[in-house]
Amino acid sequence: MNSTVQKISLRTIALIGNPNCGKTTLFNELTGLRQKVGNYPGVTVEKKEGKILIGTEEITVLDLPGTYSLSANSLDEKVVTDILFGKIPGTPIPDIVVFVSDATNLERNLYLLSQVIDLKIPTVVALNMYDRIQDTGITIDTAQLRNEFGVPFIPMTASKGAGIKELLSSFENIVSNTDGIRKWKLPDIVRIEHEELVSILVENEKMAESAAFHEAQLLLSTPKDIISFSDEYSGETLTHLQRDHNNLEMNGYNRHSVFVESRFRWTNSVYKNSVRHTAPRHQKTVHDAIDAVLTHHIWGFVIFFALMAVMFQMIFTWAIYPMLLIGSAFDTLAHLISAIIPQGDLQSLITRGIIGGVGAVVTFLPQILFLFLFLGFLEDTGYMARAAFIMDRIMNKVGLHGKSFIPLLSSFACAIPGIMATRTIENPRDRLVTILVAPLMSCSARLPVFSLLIASFIPNILLFGFVSLPAVVLISLYLLGLISALLTARLLKSTVLKGPKPAFIMELPPYRIPTLKNTFIHMWERSLLFLKNAGTIILGVSIVLWFLATYPKMEEGTSSEKLAHSFVGRAGHVIEPVLKPLGFDWKIGIGIISSLLQREVFVGTLGTIYNIEHADEESATLKQQMQKDKDPVTGQPVFSILTALCIMVYYVLAMQCLSTVAVVRRETNGWKWPAAQFVYMTLLAYLGTFITYRVGLWILS
Amino acid sequence: MPKMNLKTLAQTPAGSTVTISHLDSHPDTCNRLREVGFCENATIHLVSSGSSQLICEVCNTRIGLSYTTADAIVVLPSKE
Repeated sequence: MNSTVQKISLRTIALIGNPNCGKTTLFNELTGLRQKVGNYPGVTVEKKEGKILIGTEEITVLDLPGTYSLSANSLDEKVVTDILFGKIPGTPIPDIVVFVSDATNLERNLYLLSQVIDLKIPTVVALNMYDRIQDTGITIDTAQLRNEFGVPFIPMTASKGAGIKELLSSFENIVSNTDGIRKWKLPDIVRIEHEELVSILVENEKMAESAAFHEAQLLLSTPKDIISFSDEYSGETLTHLQRDHNNLEMNGYNRHSVFVESRFRWTNSVYKNSVRHTAPRHQKTVHDAIDAVLTHHIWGFVIFFALMAVMFQMIFTWAIYPMLLIGSAFDTLAHLISAIIPQGDLQSLITRGIIGGVGAVVTFLPQILFLFLFLGFLEDTGYMARAAFIMDRIMNKVGLHGKSFIPLLSSFACAIPGIMATRTIENPRDRLVTILVAPLMSCSARLPVFSLLIASFIPNILLFGFVSLPAVVLISLYLLGLISALLTARLLKSTVLKGPKPAFIMELPPYRIPTLKNTFIHMWERSLLFLKNAGTIILGVSIVLWFLATYPKMEEGTSSEKLAHSFVGRAGHVIEPVLKPLGFDWKIGIGIISSLLQREVFVGTLGTIYNIEHADEESATLKQQMQKDKDPVTGQPVFSILTALCIMVYYVLAMQCLSTVAVVRRETNGWKWPAAQFVYMTLLAYLGTFITYRVGLWILS
Repeated sequence: MPKMNLKTLAQTPAGSTVTISHLDSHPDTCNRLREVGFCENATIHLVSSGSSQLICEVCNTRIGLSYTTADAIVVLPSKE
């Protein structure tokens, strides 16, 4: 072994490893940040950056998405190779790689480690979750591993902060470029072809040796036609590559598998020499028993839908009490302000515009918290991957696979992380289809709209003595979104985005008991985001709406006549003919248009409009105001059960979220797909609502 | 004759432990399988099999596969 002893200058550390091995937990522990962690593969899909002070130096720590190899099969995996090969402008090649490995699952992790070590970037291995190895029945000889790989192996348990100090002190002893650590061996003929191609890539393509070493393996094993590389490599390199392919095949080597096999053969022998299983392998465990039920082809579905039902029941029963408290706190605030500020425009702006609008939305915070509590529980226990597994059968029928279900399930919280999570999907067409249908899943922003309308117009009765009708309606709305997403995916996969059905391979993480800390951090951050939106976008829209609903002023007349005379009233009447076929009046129309930015603005808008319209009446809740609102011409109620259902169907199917449009634009590199998505969802919403209204009228008649 | 014992993972009963003989599918699928641990000569323990998917353990990791994917994994009875 020939090692240099020059100390490295440390500026950047990158955390790399297989999915779900605790990289983000270690990142949070090192940097003090609170990035999202979860017990399923693919929680981190982009590079996260934090700072750490080592001595007097401020070092950048990069948390990278999990990957099984450096082959970059999906966009999240490509982030890792782009950083290791210095392909991201402004992000230098890391000075140290901290290879995070699940100590209980070292066998597979060693494959990626050997690839990382080939790159000759100084590396430290963090043997994470070390506290669990005893339960798993294994012992690890870290000295032997260090001997084989030539890098330090630090036992640690990042979730408990154990081993962090040892990890940090290992950085101080690390030296640059250690030679002689590529110990895995290729068959002679393959090795010679590989070495020649490495030299050609270094000379002709001016690649660094470590990058060329890795690239030559990809080029020699590629199933793609050589012609497809003509934009990237010179003719001479490609001619040589063609000759290499022919030589390997003539000599009877499967060039697609020889590199992976040779590497695995070596890492397996290292594993066998370094890790001892003290308990017999493949023994039946409690995890097997749980999996047998949760992934059963019938019981798996029953449990999934039962869990969803419990979630909605919880949202509609437990959340009511804190919601009432928040509602009455806003009422008290409005009364206090009315007592302090004299009657006039300022009082109206604050009590009817701001409190009416923002308060109407903030009231729904407890329901959103319950939603995140439940989804966080699913993510942290390891159930998320099981849900994707059982859903593979259904997803397969629409041309996708179970992996697409995780982004869809995440979209129940918000479509933005859902769309980001599609980066783990290897096939670009499947990824695009998943992006295009993800916003049809009912997100938390729809919840205030659904809750307001359900609480106001759906009778609170129990079905079968224990399931409340409001919860059943809410589940039906979520199912409508899910079914629409699946049917749309099926349509896209059989027409414009046709492609073969992908192979389904899904890692199922061990079950874990969720930590309260993690769950509460996640809920806290989502609440802050929700309140920030309420304090910015909804506040802004409420102020503008108050102005538009108050001016131009009319001296005489009732509040309703004054509202009809205002800018909002006039605009509402202009758009009313378009919305009449859906059973909507002009006030609902204003709510829909003002919520194009964000769905929950609809509730704020109705809060502001009804507060101004009922300014000359005794104070009443938005729910009561909506229930007694009558059409001035026909005298019929503006809202009925049918109208409420129509509005909810519209919100299930319509895009109505500017942030989602922006994320889809970023993730698809252009305006074509977000524009197509906005148009199809708006048309689908109009058509869906029209059909609901007509069928509803027919049933009632 | 070892070849007589060859079957795919999808045809293997739950509870068996088998060794991978070779992979038989598109090179992209084969490489993906190898990278997650389904490499030639690796030992697989089949935990359970349902109507269209199965769960197995490879490299100490639990992995869910569709039968279509499992059909690409040709296995032999394990010596373990």
